[in-house]
This record gives sequence, structure tokens and C-alpha cells, in this order.
Amino acid sequence: MTRNRLLVSAIILALLQIGFLSWIMASRAAVLRNGQEVLLKVEPVDPRDLLRGDYVSLGYDISTMPVKMIVNRPSGAAVTEGGPIWVRVEKGADGFWQPTSASLGTAFATSPAEGQVDVRGTVLSGWSLDQEETIHVDYGIDRFYLPEGEGRAIEQDMRVRSFGILAAVAEDGTLQIKGLMDGNRMLFSEPLY
Amino acid sequence: MTGYSSRVNRDIARWVEKGLIDAATGEALVGDVAANESRVFSFGSVLAIMAALLLGAAILLLVATNWEDIPRLVRVAGLFAIILGGYVGGAVVKARGQDAIAEGLWLVAAAAFGGSIALIGQMYHLSGDESSAMLTWCFGTVLAAVALRSNPLTVAAAAIGVAWLAIVGLDDGNFRYNLNTYPIIAVVVWLASYWTQSRVARHIILLSLVLYACFLAVHHDVTATGIALALLSSALFALAAVLPAPVEALTRLGGTLPVHVLIGFLAGLALVQAEQIDHAGRLVLAALVVFAGIATALYLAGRDSRALRTIAYIGFGLELCFVYVVTIGTMLGTAGFFLASGIVLGIIAIVIIRVERRIRNRLTNQAGAA
Repeated sequence: MTRNRLLVSAIILALLQIGFLSWIMASRAAVLRNGQEVLLKVEPVDPRDLLRGDYVSLGYDISTMPVKMIVNRPSGAAVTEGGPIWVRVEKGADGFWQPTSASLGTAFATSPAEGQVDVRGTVLSGWSLDQEETIHVDYGIDRFYLPEGEGRAIEQDMRVRSFGILAAVAEDGTLQIKGLMDGNRMLFSEPLY
Repeated sequence: MTGYSSRVNRDIARWVEKGLIDAATGEALVGDVAANESRVFSFGSVLAIMAALLLGAAILLLVATNWEDIPRLVRVAGLFAIILGGYVGGAVVKARGQDAIAEGLWLVAAAAFGGSIALIGQMYHLSGDESSAMLTWCFGTVLAAVALRSNPLTVAAAAIGVAWLAIVGLDDGNFRYNLNTYPIIAVVVWLASYWTQSRVARHIILLSLVLYACFLAVHHDVTATGIALALLSSALFALAAVLPAPVEALTRLGGTLPVHVLIGFLAGLALVQAEQIDHAGRLVLAALVVFAGIATALYLAGRDSRALRTIAYIGFGLELCFVYVVTIGTMLGTAGFFLASGIVLGIIAIVIIRVERRIRNRLTNQAGAA
């Protein structure tokens, strides 16, 4: 009895953990499959993670957001409260997507026009809300993981010419990296699984 | 324990030699000690756990290399197979009575669960997620420990929790993670440790709470946090000294709660002194509190606990060195301070010697009366 109970616990436990992991994978793959694509301009920042290995750190043009673009800037507040921010982006002449406006704390009341898409980021507390200032937005896509040893070379190249990140936008606005672009050439593209 | 049995065997040999007990009684006593000796240390078990930890580290590092020769889906499937095989295989082996191998397999499976989280993060370039990845790993391992009633898995969960605390606490550039998740981890692991009978996990949690307080101090107010930690530790110490039996029944730490809270007390005052380093008056006051606290701890609990005595002496030594090194003002002021602290230290030394002599005398009297 005890023996069987332990065996059953072990099987349920293993299935629970595997199921949980598969669920994360499936939800991420769904974003890649169905999400609207946006191309974002990046510059490199520096690498290596203890658990997940080599990566290229990425900084995005759209991470620097002028306070002027915030449509619902709270009157009276001098600095930001930490929390979500929605940024409306549209495709520029050079192919890279650029922000047009932002909504702090809540999603936009209006839906995006044709050729625009809303992406969701996070803003930390304490950024100045002065008209002339900019705030930093974190989109959770500032790392690109690479096979061991390949990170440095790509970072070197990034310093001399502009690279892009092709990202997919989930329904709730979350961005997910789809591929790394060198000009018009796709360097790495991500399979669904 | 081995240390206890060898000591008692030496004592029995001496009693037989002195004629206090006859040889037959002596042999019976030695036999009883050997029969009741708990099998705490088994070389095979230790090697099995060490092997499991090495295999786990290999899995984690293999994921980190992002090795392209193994296709991604194969990597994922391999890790899932290790999770399933490790947990179920361990349960099968446990049923056959090979506990150490079972625990080893479970540890490997828990490592594979952590590796899978890392691999998925890598596959989908999830950045800034170390915190939630470690938390998920920690709670997944607690779940495994509870489901399988495993002591080593509870210890592993506590260790992952501490690793999370260290990563988040040292992430000083941006305070984007909430340190206060840690008490939740501590409570969950602590509760699980009763079910899995893991005293080691409780020791780790108590020590890590002191570390948590230190991080809180750095992120908020050093002196206030230090004082709060010292006061809380003193209160717990008093509780353990007044009501030893209920406290032990609740904490089940083998009577070592006073040792942990003494560490907390010393850490709290170390924080205070680190920040008040330029205020000679406050520093002297804090040093006196440390000496008084150590003396009180020795007086109340030093007799029964060698670990407490060790911590007390180390704390005393460090405080002495600290006071010696730090107080550098004018030469005259330093000399005066040394003179004053020397007198205070001397008085405390005399007190401690007296306390220890009294303890010895009481022990001798008890032995004489028996």
C-alpha cells in the first residue's frame, strides 16, 4: 500500500512538473506562431548567465521613451510608479518600428489604427515625469541566447552596424523574440519548439 | 552519534578500570551503546548524494552550453525523460529499501526540472527572469519533497531558496525584485520540513533568515534593521531559555535554537557597528552590548551546548579584533579607549571565568551526590 502510494505520488509529481513546463512552452510557441511581427532596432550592451549560458544583451531604441509621448500623464505626480506601460508602435521608413504614444498603467482606450500595434512593457518606479525627460521601458526581451562561444563575435559586429530583432506580439502586448537580423539577413531564427 | 559513542566507550573503560562497575556490566553497556547508535553517517549514502549533485550540475551546465549538436526538442525530451525516470525510478528503488539511491535519483530529477526551466528560458529568450525561474524551481522542489517525503529534497529546496535570496539580494543595480518573497519561501520550506523530518533544512532556513535581515538592512536602514534583528534574537533566546521544552517541541532543532539566535544577535550588532563606525560613543555602547549579550548567552545556555560556546567565543574574538582595529582617532583618544575597554574586558573575563568555574563546581557536586 505504502509502496504503491509512493509510486503514484512520484508519477503524479513527474507529470505535474512536465505538464507545467510543457504549458509554458506551448504558450510561448503560440505567441511565435500567431503574434503580429515587429522589427526593432537594437544596440548591444554585455554577456553570460549562470544557468542559461551565453547571451547577447540588447538595448532597444523603443526602450527610451520621451515623457511627452505618454497620453495619460498623471497630473501632480513628479515620478513614475512602477508598473506596466503600453506603447503604440508603427513601422518607420527604415523598416524599424517606432513608438508613437504610450499609456501608463492601463491599456489604451482606443484600439490601434491600421499598421500600428500596442506592445506591453514595464516601467520602474522613480523615473522623472518632467516634459523634457525620458523614461526607461523594459520589454523583457533584452537577452538573446546563443550557442557557447558565439556571443562575442556577434557583439563585435553589432558595434559597427545596426542589427534588428524580429519580435512577435502576443494578444496582451507581450513581446517575444523571433529572430536576430543583420540588416535584411536573418542570423538566427527561432523554431516554435 | 559516533563522537558520543567513542566518548562513552572511553568512559566505560575507565569505570571498569576503577572498579566502579564490573567487566560484565561494562560489556553490556558497550553493547547497548553500539546497538542504539543511530546510523547518521553511511559512506555509501553520502557518495550517492554527492554523485547525484554532480550529475545535477552536469545537467544544468549542459543546458547552459546551448549545444547545437543536440536538437532542441531532443534536449527538452531528454530532460523530461530524466524528470519522469528520476522520480518514478527513485520510488521503485525506495520500495526495495535502497533509500540512498532513491534520494540520489530524486535529486537528479529535481535538477532536471531546474534545467528544463532554464532551457525554456533560453529557447524563448526570456530575459530578466532569473528571479521567477529560481522561485519556480524552488517551489517545484518543495512540492517534490512533500510528495515523496524526502529529506534531501527539502534541503535542496532550502538551498535553492537561499540561492534565490543571494541573487536577488546582490542584484544591487535595480531593486526590481521583491526581497519580501523570502519569508514566504522560508515558511513553506519550514512547514514542509516537519513532514519530511528534515532538521537540516530548518537549520538552513534559520541561518538564511539572518542573511535576509542583512539584505534588508542594506536595502533599507542598516542601524534600525540591526537593532530589530538583535532585539528579536534576544526575545527568542529568552523564550528558549525560559521554556526550553515547548520551544523544542515546536522547532524540533535538537535544542540549537539558542545557537541560531545568538548568531542573529551578533549579526544584528555587527550591522549596527558597521554603520556607526564613525561614532565612537555608539560604537563603545554596541561593543558593551555584544560582550554583555555573549556573557548572558554563555551563562544561560553555554553549559549544555558546545556549539553555542564555540559561536560565543568566535563572536567575542571578532568583536575584540573589530574594536581593536577600528578605533583610530587621536592617539590619546585611542589609548584612552583601549584602557577603558581593557578594564571592561577584564571585568567580563573575570565574570566568565567565575561562571565557568561555577558550572564546573555544580557538575562536580552533582557527580559527588549521585
